[in-house]
Amino acid sequence: MNAPASTSAFDPAAWFASRGWTPFPFQQATWQSIIAGDSGLLHASTGSGKTWAIWLAALARFGAKKIEPSPLKRTRMSAPKLTVIWITPMRALAADTAKALAEPIESAQLDWTLSLRTGDTSSSERAAQERRLPTALITTPESLTLMLSKATQQDALAGARMVVVDEWHELIGNKRGVQLQLALARLRKLNPALQIWGLSATLGNIDLARDVLLAGAPGRVVQGDIGKPLLIDTLLPPRLERFPWAGHLGIAMLPQVIDAIEDAGTTLVFLNTRSQAELWYQALLNARPDWAGLIAVHHGSLDREVRDWVEASLKAGTLKAVVCTSSLDLGVDFVPVERVLQIGSPKGVARALQRAGRSGHQPGRTSRLTMVPTHSMELVEAAAARHAIATGHLETRLPPNKPLDVLVQHLVTIALGTGFTPPELLAEVRTAWSYQALTAEEWEWALGFVRQGGSALTAYPEYRRVEPDEAGIWRVPDAALARRHRSNIGTIVSDASMVVQYMGGARLGTVEEGFIARLAPGDAFLFGGRMLELIRVHEMTALVRLAKKSKGAVPRWQGGRMSFSTELADAMVEQLELAAAGEFAGPEMQAVAPLLQVQQDWSAIPTRNTLLAEVWHSREGNHLFLYPFAGRHVHLGLASLLGWRVGQHQPATFSIAVNDYGFELLTSADVDWPALLTPELLSDEHLLEDVLHSLNAGELAQRRFREIARISGLVFQGHPGSGGGKSARQLQASSSLFYEVFRKHDPSNLLLTQAQTEVLRQELETTRLQDSLQRMQGQALNIQRVQRPTPLGFPLLIERFRESMSSEKLADRIARLVATLERAASGEADPSIDAHAAVMFMAPDMPKKQARSGGRRARPKRVFGHTRG
Amino acid sequence: MPVTLETRLLNAHAISTHIAGEAVWLLPQKALFWPAQRMLLVADVHFGKAAAYRALGQPVPHGTTQANLARLDEMLAVLAEDVDTLVFLGDFLHAKSSRHPEVLGALETWRARWPALRLVLVRGNHDVRAGDPPQNLRVTVVSEPWIVGPLGLCHEPDVALPGGIYGLCGHVHPAVTLRGGARERMRLACFWMGEHGGILPAFGEFTGSWTMPAHARARVWVVGGGRVFAVGG
Repeated sequence: MNAPASTSAFDPAAWFASRGWTPFPFQQATWQSIIAGDSGLLHASTGSGKTWAIWLAALARFGAKKIEPSPLKRTRMSAPKLTVIWITPMRALAADTAKALAEPIESAQLDWTLSLRTGDTSSSERAAQERRLPTALITTPESLTLMLSKATQQDALAGARMVVVDEWHELIGNKRGVQLQLALARLRKLNPALQIWGLSATLGNIDLARDVLLAGAPGRVVQGDIGKPLLIDTLLPPRLERFPWAGHLGIAMLPQVIDAIEDAGTTLVFLNTRSQAELWYQALLNARPDWAGLIAVHHGSLDREVRDWVEASLKAGTLKAVVCTSSLDLGVDFVPVERVLQIGSPKGVARALQRAGRSGHQPGRTSRLTMVPTHSMELVEAAAARHAIATGHLETRLPPNKPLDVLVQHLVTIALGTGFTPPELLAEVRTAWSYQALTAEEWEWALGFVRQGGSALTAYPEYRRVEPDEAGIWRVPDAALARRHRSNIGTIVSDASMVVQYMGGARLGTVEEGFIARLAPGDAFLFGGRMLELIRVHEMTALVRLAKKSKGAVPRWQGGRMSFSTELADAMVEQLELAAAGEFAGPEMQAVAPLLQVQQDWSAIPTRNTLLAEVWHSREGNHLFLYPFAGRHVHLGLASLLGWRVGQHQPATFSIAVNDYGFELLTSADVDWPALLTPELLSDEHLLEDVLHSLNAGELAQRRFREIARISGLVFQGHPGSGGGKSARQLQASSSLFYEVFRKHDPSNLLLTQAQTEVLRQELETTRLQDSLQRMQGQALNIQRVQRPTPLGFPLLIERFRESMSSEKLADRIARLVATLERAASGEADPSIDAHAAVMFMAPDMPKKQARSGGRRARPKRVFGHTRG
Repeated sequence: MPVTLETRLLNAHAISTHIAGEAVWLLPQKALFWPAQRMLLVADVHFGKAAAYRALGQPVPHGTTQANLARLDEMLAVLAEDVDTLVFLGDFLHAKSSRHPEVLGALETWRARWPALRLVLVRGNHDVRAGDPPQNLRVTVVSEPWIVGPLGLCHEPDVALPGGIYGLCGHVHPAVTLRGGARERMRLACFWMGEHGGILPAFGEFTGSWTMPAHARARVWVVGGGRVFAVGG
């Protein structure tokens, strides 16, 4: 259909001119393309005007008209029907997007209506939308899927003529993106002429990103890079010898960070985790009490209202600095931001670039990113990142391959909506890029799973989520199951969380239930930049007041630790290789030179052609440090693989520590590492088989199962503050319990297989693992027996988060542990074990993990009249 | 030559100890055998827990009830001549919806195999909601504490007991973490015997566990790999 050429129709160029703006060439190109009816992907960094490129063209293409004269208000009922669906990955962005999209509608007095549909949308607004949707709807992948679970809403969605997916680079590589692919497949089926546009920041594989979004249909890629000037530098520690070799916090750099904040108008201080953001905010405030009210903290667990306030103050320019996490990676521009500080590794080249782009938004200004190393080796990383950005080596992001948990959820969603017939839905699902290669067997299994909980042989007769009716349409017969499914739609998995709320006052945000469970009333903890005292826990709410103490616990939020990218790794090895040759280019490398000299003297510096192995015997046991520089995920896979292969000759239990540079295998068994490090040990033959074996000997697959169990509806995720209801609480069982019971009684269940596959693909990145092994085979092995941990080894040595892998028989392993403990208790041998701390239970400084099953079993307050010790 | 009870227990990898002056055996099947009273005690079986999940639309594999019963059979095969009473320290059935024909059928069949055995349930928190076991299982139900000799048999650990009585309970599903050299850690279900009372590990297949806080004056035995190991104390 062509755009109506009426005189009152909206004209993007004229609107730009009316504001005194000149469009960039990429904006004009996008306008033409959309008005001509194309689909495509616009590739541009934030703050470059990409929203105008898409939105103004949509208004023109679909005939938004000026209401003349306009004393009458636009009403929902008189406005054009739903035409554009605008998808944003974060709820938090929706309101800002709405404000931006409303601007031309209001200033040009257009006849379109616009509203939001997210998890935050009020029930009255939702009810109004159920009567009639706005002309343009702003929503998230989850809310869109939720709408598909209602038959009435699907009819309205069928009228949509264009879908815009904002920040597509944030979605393409994960299951949320897959969920969106499935929703788009449905919308395309409802309207085959649907136009789809994506907005994406810089990616190494932009053409694939377009193909995934458009499901292979032809479409344009518009390059929107406007070449904004970029300045990247690093804060250097004043004296290297005082600068830590390892550690995650980097507080040693506090004075320089304060100076940097002082220098700029407004600064965003990025941290890689929420806990670190809390700690840094507190440290800044302690050092500069006069900054109270001028600096703020922002992360995803803070309450919406708290974050809104921070964002509004940022925009208004009333804040000096905001300490934040990836929660501020996306979204509208904060014009006052002049400088971005990245504390710790940016982990990827594209991420560093993205964060840099959050500063310098006024025309003619420069984006400025300053990296703040938290330990010495991060100086090398900073040099590497700067070099990689300069040479344009950016990361690629690949879509997940047919995750069955997301498919299972989708089947229930569609059954709840219109219902489905299997052949028709299979054809539709296969149009989604991630499910192109879905086999008939996998499809049958997914149908079997939603119908009877598994394949026919292990049918669970009591269980029936979805069933065909008399007409052969698959539907959800049980209203309670329907409600539960709707409240559980989504692919973001988090631990059960608790609302943190002032006694009789405002909500502050959420923390994981497990963290609160370890606190007693009266204990203090740091949250939202305040020291809070726990008063008591009521249902799923932790009631708090401001604490008088100044010290307290810091909540940790789980969530995958990011691996650094191949691109950054390669750039780093390049820098090291130059250093090994005595060449130290740039301020960072010059600063770190003395430490690299220590590494060289005590051991060696890894290069592209050598694989460095360090062997050390301590009172803890035998250590092997290996440095493939392949990122923490691959290292975990490599370490498990090596541990398992060694265990085939000699049963042993290994403690594994990994970081982005390498890994450590530690065992109390008597292993002779130099003799064991043969080419066969590093061979890529039988790789998959061996890795699968090593998975069963470790705990990785079990942890991955947690996410799969939740997405497929196996484990019910309670909602903070909702109270959950009795039946919801009865369903709270830990996924590890499910994992065990499935492994024992239904080992062929495909969700278990998926857990393994996902561990292989996501956690261990087997393709990268294979590449790494092949590269390692081409490298000369350089084995160094060291007298003490080296600068490269030390960070691994002190890493507290460890995996374990055992090839010993369970009974043998317990017997050995018990014997060691007895010897330690009687003062014999093994001085590494502190008899008092280790004989029983956990030492107080170790993080306690507590598996729960019932949720109703109270922790024992006393055992027969005696208080706990 | 008849094999002595002690030999049979040792062959079954049981460990002997004393609580409240009474000689008892801890079995790797997570049960406690009290020869003087000819009693076998288990806690937190949670029969029909998987069925309760299935009733709420959660697919949990079949086989947990059979596995629980098989473990009871395994012990009774060794101790049939020496046990008159099997005591459940609470949480016999998991929920109302655990009273599923399949679960109850399996329990009846199992009961028929051991017709002479006296079954006693010390009622626990789950039993209050799930209801007492069906009549045909012939289970005597008592409230906590059930005083037998010097022991007070309970479900929950904070029951007030008369002076000089040592409590024995379930409910907690105790576990401990062992730490060794080379940063090794292992979390295992355990028997936990304090000064004034002790806790049995959860017997049920589909049950979780709770890590016990450190307590200097408790004796602990961990269970794993078909063995019981005394730790510390």
